[in-house]
Amino acid sequence: MAGDAGSIPELDQKKYDSGEQVKIICLGDSAVGKSKLMERFLMDEYRPQQLSTYALTLYKHTATVGNKTVAIDFWDTAGQERFQSMHPSYYHKAHACIMVFDVQRKITYKNLANWYKELREFRPEIPCCVVANKIDADLKVTQRSFNFGKKQGIPFYFVSAADGTNVVKMFREMITRAVEYKQNPSDFMDEVLQELENFDLEEKEDPEADEVGLKTESPELE
Amino acid sequence: MSFEAKRCGVQFSPPSIVLIYQQKETKDVRKRIIPVRNFSKYSDCSMAAEGLKNHPRHKDYLEGVSQSQLEKLHIILRDHMQGLSLEHSLASFRLDPDEDLNQLDDDKLARKKGKMDELFEKNRKHKDDPDFVYDLEMDFTKTTQEKCSWDEESDDGF
Repeated sequence: MAGDAGSIPELDQKKYDSGEQVKIICLGDSAVGKSKLMERFLMDEYRPQQLSTYALTLYKHTATVGNKTVAIDFWDTAGQERFQSMHPSYYHKAHACIMVFDVQRKITYKNLANWYKELREFRPEIPCCVVANKIDADLKVTQRSFNFGKKQGIPFYFVSAADGTNVVKMFREMITRAVEYKQNPSDFMDEVLQELENFDLEEKEDPEADEVGLKTESPELE
Repeated sequence: MSFEAKRCGVQFSPPSIVLIYQQKETKDVRKRIIPVRNFSKYSDCSMAAEGLKNHPRHKDYLEGVSQSQLEKLHIILRDHMQGLSLEHSLASFRLDPDEDLNQLDDDKLARKKGKMDELFEKNRKHKDDPDFVYDLEMDFTKTTQEKCSWDEESDDGF
């Protein structure tokens, strides 16, 4: 599977290597409000590109960080979360990750651990945050401390896509962190994935090659 | 001509949307039965709701009824056409906070999302609202103290 990373034909992910292109991914369960958050942040700019074959939605955005203009692609799932796991190309070359849960549904908070684990398998070092969405449903939740972010050492935001609370602040901070990370990356995972891609190409010449062989290789590479 | 929608429901035979509304000037309360045409058990409820919401003859009356509510009513009508009971339809909208929505297919997930949208729309601040603030910030770091019970079972990485 990992060998397929970056192979979505409509999306040349090589562009994310250039200085001005940033990729930020969203993770979280179905119906936690990931798309609603994107829409609230982008407002009129909101022009999603649906790639339904890949259960993927892309939102393009331009931002200025410092004195530099950057083009950001936000990657949002379009039902891919149903498989409890994302295709490796979703994580490939990502510069930051926004993890969302619904404050009204405990299961979506509990599942953050799974999403975070999968994220770190592919992107051990990229900036990440936890977003508690739908606080407009019951503002009292903001008096509670949710430990997941603290425990993983990542920022935590109480937000509402409906009334807009902290949505723009969260996105702006994540964009800044994504750009900083890009300027000073500490992940070797891109190189590892590159290796896996090469490996896959070699393997393909052998019709007997078993894809499972790839999976068993990857833990040793961590 | 101004109307205030009071209640909205369905009638199975013939398939119709029923609206109880008040005429704002005269205070008269009236019932309007809107037959649902060109709608079958295979129809797209979201498109049907959108069509009705923008229907030249009905749109003034339906102004106060959200599109997601109209969609819900169409789902009830369609379920009935498919031989499903009203109880079944209503149960499919109900939100169970412990249910794993990742497991639902598109249709079932759409029903839950429709229900969630009711609250979203109710609390939503629109760009045209006079008190709309794009970059609305609130600091909750000072108020956060209470431990969250969701963190209690620590065996799963929390």
